Amino acid sequence: MELYTKADNIELNVYNTLKEVIDPELAINIIDLGLVYKIHYDHSSGIHIQMTLSNKGCPMGDVITENIRSILSERFPNFKSTIELIWEPIWSSEFVSPHGRTLLGLA
Amino acid sequence: MMPSNTNSSRTASAVLPFYAFGVVSFLVLTIVMLFSSNAFIGHYFSPKLLAITHIATLGWASMIIFGSLHQLLPILLDKALHSMVYAKITFYSFAIGIIVLVYSFWTFSLGIPLQLAAVLLISGASFLLLNIVFTARNTGRPAIHAIFIITAAGWFWLTVFLGALMAFNFTFSFLPAEQLFYLRIHAHIGMAGWFILLIIGVSSKLIPMFLLSPAMDTKKLYYSYFIINGALLAFLVDALIFNETHRGGIYFSLAIIGIAIYVFTVIKSFKSRVRKALDIGMKQTFLAVLFVFLPIVFGWISTSNLFPVSPFLMQITLVYGASFFMGFISLLILGQSFKTLPYIIWLDKYQNMSGKKGTPLPKDLFSEKLLRYQMVVFIIGYILLLSGIISSLVLLITIANSILILAAILYVINIFKMFVHKPAYATIT
Repeated sequence: MELYTKADNIELNVYNTLKEVIDPELAINIIDLGLVYKIHYDHSSGIHIQMTLSNKGCPMGDVITENIRSILSERFPNFKSTIELIWEPIWSSEFVSPHGRTLLGLA
Repeated sequence: MMPSNTNSSRTASAVLPFYAFGVVSFLVLTIVMLFSSNAFIGHYFSPKLLAITHIATLGWASMIIFGSLHQLLPILLDKALHSMVYAKITFYSFAIGIIVLVYSFWTFSLGIPLQLAAVLLISGASFLLLNIVFTARNTGRPAIHAIFIITAAGWFWLTVFLGALMAFNFTFSFLPAEQLFYLRIHAHIGMAGWFILLIIGVSSKLIPMFLLSPAMDTKKLYYSYFIINGALLAFLVDALIFNETHRGGIYFSLAIIGIAIYVFTVIKSFKSRVRKALDIGMKQTFLAVLFVFLPIVFGWISTSNLFPVSPFLMQITLVYGASFFMGFISLLILGQSFKTLPYIIWLDKYQNMSGKKGTPLPKDLFSEKLLRYQMVVFIIGYILLLSGIISSLVLLITIANSILILAAILYVINIFKMFVHKPAYATIT
């Protein structure tokens, strides 16, 4: 899955920033967990993140999205950011990165 | 965007007292059990065993369940809890009611103290039921886990109501049959209607979340729901209309089918999990689910009427109750306490420190090593307790109860470690 436009430095920075957001239950960052589907930036609408949760109604869902908002407003204070939770495609273990797979005991 | 339905600090203040009461009750339970070891030989309808049973079912298990339910309900139903005031009334009604109830049984004061306890408990159960129903109202067609939880709260209310009637019946003798007849109904609707249905409801949602496995098979959960409730209703109708509890074995067998469907659904979820490495809390949870076969076997022997009434059958009945509460319910709560409570406390202390380096994770709030010891010690105590009851050996029961106290101390230390946890502001960068 292509998460961001590699040419765009801001999207790459957002991608790296999101690696600091941890799922508190699993202790794995949301990028390695494969929860982030798309990072998009444009000058007029700001940063837009399309992501999912491992399970609909996940108790940590609020915490994770709050974490994202908090860290984005800290690192990109001049940009507006929106988070869109989507449920298609449904999250699966195939989205987990090789590093995440090791942490989950899948590798 | 998912609505934020969990105002954590507001909820924590309503939820944590339930946990504190439940945790202390567990320690009290094991101490009282030690000083009543000889009560585990003979008939279950004795003052000490009634006191012990109600410390276990209400003071320990139900109070912890109430705590987690008030926290989880908004998440499970995706709607804010209807009333924090109701939650507080539920807590105080139960806390005072349970203390008075246990005192009444222990001292066999069956007059005013028992009636006062009955009034407090039925008030608490009513506020709990109303809070759950009002929270679930207008949430659209409820999911199967919510249906299990709402139904469980209904059965719980009925269990408490029947208990309250029995409490008044000690003085006013208005019920047509003898107390033991109603006690059997009271116990079984409490065990299957309240504990089993609630556990299935909550776990069917939480287990896939904790294991990162696909959602449980809804169709199978519906089968389980209708079979268990069908068995309970048939048992109740047979008892109250036809005055008959001797067909209990048939309804028990039916309920077992419903429970078995749930257990197989859990096993399927376990096998298809993404998260291969299980934490100790989940290991203990699965052990509890596997241990459910013990009360099923002993309960079936006890209720089937295939065996003549004898001192040995009496012991089997006691083992049935002990294996259900200590082996299944307690083991499950001992494990799940370290899945739900760290999360509640973590949200309360750290939700506003999101994304900051140095913020501990929920699992860092307690000692995993202590939890491991607690699990091993508890299982040893539990196995010895069952062996002692079956063999009617008071010495073995005493040893078992001493070991269970050690497990309770380890549990209390670990839980209060979380309660007194101070946010590590200094390490935040």
